[in-house]
Amino acid sequence: MTTPPDISGRQPASSADDPVGTEVTAGATGGNPVPDGPAGGPVRRARRILPLLGSLQGYIGLVLIVLIGIGTQGGRFANVDNITNAIGYFAPRGILAVGMTLVIIAAGIDLSVGSLLAVGSTAAAWLLTDANWPVVAIVPACMVIGAVFGLANGAGTGLLRIQSFVMTLAMMTIARGIVREFSNNTSIGTVVIGSNGELAPGSAQFQKLGTPGARLFGGDVPLLGYFPVLALVVVVIVFQLVLTRTRFGRHVYAVGGNPTAARLSGVNVTAVTIAVFTLSGLLAGLAGPISAAYNASADPQAGLGYELDAIAAVVIGGASLAGGRGSVVGTFIGALILTLLDNVLGLNSVSANWQLIVKGLIVVVAVVIQRPELFSELAAWLRRTLHRSPAGAARG
Amino acid sequence: MTPPEPTAADNAQVPNVIGYDLDTARSQLSAAPSAASAEAPLLEMRGIGKSFPGVQALRDVSLSVRRGEVVALLGENGAGKSTLINVLSGVFGHYDGTILLDGEPVDIHTPADAQRLGISTIHQELNLVPDMTVADNIFLGRERRSAAGLVDRRDTNARARALLERVGLTVSPRRLVRQCRVAEQQLIEVAKALSLNTRVLIMDEPTSALADAEVRRLFEVIRSLTADGVAIVYISHRLEELEELADSVNVLRDGRWIGARSMRGASRDELIRMMVGRSVADLPRRPADARPTDEQPRLSVRDLHLDPDPRAGRVGLNGVSLDVRPGEIVGLAGLMGAGRTETLEAVFGAYPARAFRGSFLLDGRPYQPHSPKQAIRRGVVLVAEDRKQQSLVLDASVKFNTSLAALGRYLSFGWVRGRRERAAVSDEVRRLGVKTSGINTRVGTLSGGNQQKVVLAKWLLTDPRVILLDEPTRGIDVGAKSEIYELVNALAAQGVGFVVASSELPELLRMSDRIVVLSEGRVTAEFDAEHADQEQILEAAMGRRSVIARTS
Repeated sequence: MTTPPDISGRQPASSADDPVGTEVTAGATGGNPVPDGPAGGPVRRARRILPLLGSLQGYIGLVLIVLIGIGTQGGRFANVDNITNAIGYFAPRGILAVGMTLVIIAAGIDLSVGSLLAVGSTAAAWLLTDANWPVVAIVPACMVIGAVFGLANGAGTGLLRIQSFVMTLAMMTIARGIVREFSNNTSIGTVVIGSNGELAPGSAQFQKLGTPGARLFGGDVPLLGYFPVLALVVVVIVFQLVLTRTRFGRHVYAVGGNPTAARLSGVNVTAVTIAVFTLSGLLAGLAGPISAAYNASADPQAGLGYELDAIAAVVIGGASLAGGRGSVVGTFIGALILTLLDNVLGLNSVSANWQLIVKGLIVVVAVVIQRPELFSELAAWLRRTLHRSPAGAARG
Repeated sequence: MTPPEPTAADNAQVPNVIGYDLDTARSQLSAAPSAASAEAPLLEMRGIGKSFPGVQALRDVSLSVRRGEVVALLGENGAGKSTLINVLSGVFGHYDGTILLDGEPVDIHTPADAQRLGISTIHQELNLVPDMTVADNIFLGRERRSAAGLVDRRDTNARARALLERVGLTVSPRRLVRQCRVAEQQLIEVAKALSLNTRVLIMDEPTSALADAEVRRLFEVIRSLTADGVAIVYISHRLEELEELADSVNVLRDGRWIGARSMRGASRDELIRMMVGRSVADLPRRPADARPTDEQPRLSVRDLHLDPDPRAGRVGLNGVSLDVRPGEIVGLAGLMGAGRTETLEAVFGAYPARAFRGSFLLDGRPYQPHSPKQAIRRGVVLVAEDRKQQSLVLDASVKFNTSLAALGRYLSFGWVRGRRERAAVSDEVRRLGVKTSGINTRVGTLSGGNQQKVVLAKWLLTDPRVILLDEPTRGIDVGAKSEIYELVNALAAQGVGFVVASSELPELLRMSDRIVVLSEGRVTAEFDAEHADQEQILEAAMGRRSVIARTS
């Protein structure tokens, strides 16, 4: 058992000469190195950075699933097309999960993301087929539309002080109603055949946003050339950096960890709350066109239940619904676990019903094994067990 | 009864810096409580140890308590007092050593075990459900049920009323705990403990949030409990209280049992020396030559009015005015509910603009404290009363908390420059002597004194002109206290203005140049700290109560 530094660091002899600490720096003279300063070595740097990249347990789970996939299906699982398609299929939900991560770290929840995805997807299909907008304009437009809905969520929670669960539950049904009304309860196809009998150019462009096999850079770049995967990876990187390296990101953690302390430290809690919901809506707006392109149509029922998959990915990624804890990379790992799990189970012809059951169990297991106190509890249990044996008793 | 003999190794490990002789302590202990010495101890802990991964929090600690005795536990923060009482109250599943109750060895592995054995604990943070009634809280988990299986309100309330009477409380059992004051809640906890047929009552800093009159009432209750044979284990940093209340005192340091003393005849100096392992002379008063010469005030508050908000427990202010010159330390004295915290928080912009009015000048320029953000930008910062609730994100690291308010200084093109931030935080942490294993350590794992230093470090990174301190040393050990006093003096010497609110008058007298006394939201007196005494201040603090009662 090592002695903690605050005990070993006390140097009574020198302190006795300096009874009340005549210098401000008195406490620091007692041998208190503060590591992790600018000169921190690679090990320290790793210890600083690693916790930001999700938990070890997450990576172990991911590796396990991959091994099971290879073990049971071999090349059918472990080929680029299969993985690309699996991630691409899950990408819209993964993008929702990134927005959800922000909201959950700020101690909120956003139940409306599935409905907002449907808003984005219907808007995209309408802009494509009726308004004939180019794809480069459609995607930002959908993001703006999503952000406006998100802003309303934020205003309800931040300004009107409605609990986010209630506010976004209301928005979930409002947005769904708007989509159904706007689309007359019919889905809008995005595959438009031109007068020459071929795919219209705008539509052809649009399909690259999500259709399996459609590649951005010709056929050469398999994984990132598939737009949904590329979009997910870019969103993950950008938001991981925003959360860890910007003032706004720090404020998100502070608001979730202790809103009172955040406010009294000069953080504009209301603004941060509004911002995280707006960003979550913005990302739902981005996920919309991808989902529409993947399905080749925008269904007013699109995205039903997606908010739960997004929350599951965030929770598997190590975030706490109590706020203040979580990371985007962790969520990404969580989303990968869910994706590949679905894929492995599907390849092994496990029925969809059982897939649901397994998914639920994974969430429970993930939460239990990611408790911060898990290892200390295990150690205590081990010690207790050892204590009963004679060898352990002699130690006391 | 006598603690186990130390092994040679133990003696070697305990630094004998103060010339304190363990054997002498032990002989004094066995001779000490003469009246009860014939009786076997009710509770005896022998060789208690508790380790956490990487930390031996307690090592070979022994404690014995007789019926009707008040045994005090004394020690700096992190000395192991809380760990010891957590062992006793069953918070930890496992510990080393033996616990005897009435001479019989007992196992305490869960809070339910402790409860069954008649050991109750009143933690510093009270454990009451705010939105339930007083009676329901007392019988929480042991609800009185009628024959039909429903909760029997009448019986519950009647029994609760009897228990409340025993602790001298007159609140209605039907009242919501939320509506009771902290002192009342404390006594409700005592009533709850009584309802459990408590034989050993552990009290952790029960007076830290109480005003003097309320402390006196609590002491009366404690005395009546001991007269009934209840044994009390009492933790407090306030030596004056222990002198009045305790029969004997046990000192812990760095997780080890240092010694025990009969309270009668134990000198403060000696106890402090045992606690800190070094000699702390009576803390110095602020030297007269450190006081600023006449200058334009740095902060000037005129006629500050604040609307009360009973639901948030906020009292009103009825025209508070005060000036702080650069380098001056102004003390704010007053009883509970006099408006000390409210004055500081209003100046810091913690209240909505519609709730208060008054005129403020900062360095001669108008100042409108409409949000903490704005106050911080103008150089006015508040070290709030409640570290854990108001000042720190406990789950986050030392670095996160320290740089939170000053992040804007480490940005370039919107990105936080990690290297610059770490360098600034490390410097500040080192300068204030925060004892932490690193700047990425979770702040929640630090002791109270070190947490408070992190809060100070956070504000110092913003280069403040005026620092408002609300109970700056509450729940902090003697060593850290004097370090904070020194720090305040050093900052004042650099021209920072301070307003310090404290419920400990000796602390105010020690720290301040000038003391402003509040009562019922008004300034009732102002004293030069050098010539003021406690009696005068107390008189002013209690003054004009009847006259002002109309307005509040």
